[in-house]
Amino acid sequence: YCIQIVETSFTHHKKKKQLQNKTYCHPEIKADRSFVLYRPPPVVRDPALVEEFLERAKFIADDLNWLLALPHDKFWCQVIFDETLQKCLDSYLRYAPRKFDALLDCLPEVNDMQKCLHRSVFLTFLRMSTHKESKDHFITPSVFGEIIYNNFLFDIPKILDLCVLFGKGNGLLLQKMIENIFTQQPSYFGDLDETLPTVLQVFNNILHKCGLQCEGASAEPQKLEEKVNVTPGNMPLQELKDIVLYLCDTCTTLWAFLDVFPLACQTFQKHEFCYRLASFYELAIPELESAIKKRHYEDNSVFADLWRRISHSRKRMIEAFHILINQVCLQPILESRYWHLGSVVLASYLIAVVGEIVSSFSGLLEKMNRYSYLFLRDYDELFPVEDDVSLLQQASSTLDETRTAYILQAVESAWEGVDRTKAQVVKDPT
Amino acid sequence: MALPRLTGTLRSFSNVTKHEDYSEELADLRTKRSKLHEQLLKSDLTWKKIIKFVDDNLDKKEHQTVNGDLKTILQAAKQIVGAENGQEAIESGAVFLFKTFHRKECVGHDETKAIKQMFGPFPSSSATAACNATYRIASHFTEEQLTALIQMAEEQNGDNRVFFGKNIVFSFDMHDLDHSEELPVNGEADAQKIISLDY
Repeated sequence: YCIQIVETSFTHHKKKKQLQNKTYCHPEIKADRSFVLYRPPPVVRDPALVEEFLERAKFIADDLNWLLALPHDKFWCQVIFDETLQKCLDSYLRYAPRKFDALLDCLPEVNDMQKCLHRSVFLTFLRMSTHKESKDHFITPSVFGEIIYNNFLFDIPKILDLCVLFGKGNGLLLQKMIENIFTQQPSYFGDLDETLPTVLQVFNNILHKCGLQCEGASAEPQKLEEKVNVTPGNMPLQELKDIVLYLCDTCTTLWAFLDVFPLACQTFQKHEFCYRLASFYELAIPELESAIKKRHYEDNSVFADLWRRISHSRKRMIEAFHILINQVCLQPILESRYWHLGSVVLASYLIAVVGEIVSSFSGLLEKMNRYSYLFLRDYDELFPVEDDVSLLQQASSTLDETRTAYILQAVESAWEGVDRTKAQVVKDPT
Repeated sequence: MALPRLTGTLRSFSNVTKHEDYSEELADLRTKRSKLHEQLLKSDLTWKKIIKFVDDNLDKKEHQTVNGDLKTILQAAKQIVGAENGQEAIESGAVFLFKTFHRKECVGHDETKAIKQMFGPFPSSSATAACNATYRIASHFTEEQLTALIQMAEEQNGDNRVFFGKNIVFSFDMHDLDHSEELPVNGEADAQKIISLDY
């Protein structure tokens, strides 16, 4: 198994002719390094556990620093052929603590070591996503695309982990990395497409655990012994905590990915993601919030933590929805990408676009239960729908007013019976 | 226990990842330590070179004292590495101890960690004896002489290479929970209450 990875080009001064020096990558060139797996810092300050964490982390930090100091060709040989390295990186992405996880009270040396690792892991992925390291050291883009895909150097779960771990502080660099990965290897769009049903299944599973049924979910036969009357209100506290933690992680991860890589929105929308997300929100959030509020807690900090997580998840879902609407519908118009097509074509496009927004909301209009329009109201509170419609109207005078009126009417209905000024007072006490 | 994660589910239930089996990796720390031992044996700096360095750079009258200290280091290495591992492993251990202590007056936290990482649990008295002996030997030489000796090992390890990304400004900032100012009163049953999303 031998791969030609590097084409070093240089100019022969006498002949003034561009020459190509092809470098080949072979498993035998790989160093026998034995990377160890990452384990997260211990939850308790047990000296033995702390020591083991530090030992592991030091091994990984030293090995990654060694890897980052390797010349271009040797780095790629190691990355491609060293399975222990690939497992080490994957274990970091899986188990590295997110800041929104439960707070850890770590010793300063544990924090310092974790920071050191965090940087080295990011730089390793940065190098792995860079096909042109310098003018003399680069990999042909098509070969690069094959290497990272065929060897699973990146996959969709890893990319999502990268976004949630590094997206806040290193967003611009991460955006370039992920754009380059998807550009050089479009098969990742296919993988994302394949992954989305599983993401939607996660929402369904949460609903199922809450004793709720999602629209469009497959009606699987229920086991006879399965408890069907479990709700968030009567389930054990630990189970409720797990659901809220899972929801919080899911929403934050999806939002972090869309925030870094909005080009993924089209693939999400192929699965009617906006509608499915809004439906989930409408069903799950009131049920979970009600359960969290009604439950009796021995430790009030548990209640505060659950409430904070559910509120955070709400906001992230609405923000993810906004990124999707913005990317799929609004941005193309604002960038005038279709203006050159002429007014007739533009009008048809706008109708299709508005249809997208309406279809995202319209499913909700049909639900007239006590929580109806919750999502639409919350969305409108953070991102006023009127502003988006106004932008569309400014973009084209040929926009079908009946459709825009329908949207605005839907928003108005959502606020019916709710004191909007009260909500605004809560928002801004000044 | 691992926290429930979206990406954990995707790894388990989607077909877009390489399904890794981590069960065989339980002994990875032991494997890593033995790899480090192998690397140590391949080091360019050998015990014989240290002895030759001492012979070449010291007067004969100082040899007796220094030879005693060299023997102390070798004896300490025997205690730390284990006599059953053979002379070659003991000498490599002695080189490691010399490298670790050549600029140290006492056994500090970092040195203890380094020795433990390489050899596992060890008698602290042996480390102290090796440290004191190395310190006495080192006091006979200049800083330049010692640096030249130690670099024999470091050059092979590539410590002088350019580190990818050394100039990249890295931020440790991570996504956190939003600050929620509003907490409902516990037990409140008003499902229609508007909860602010402006945190």
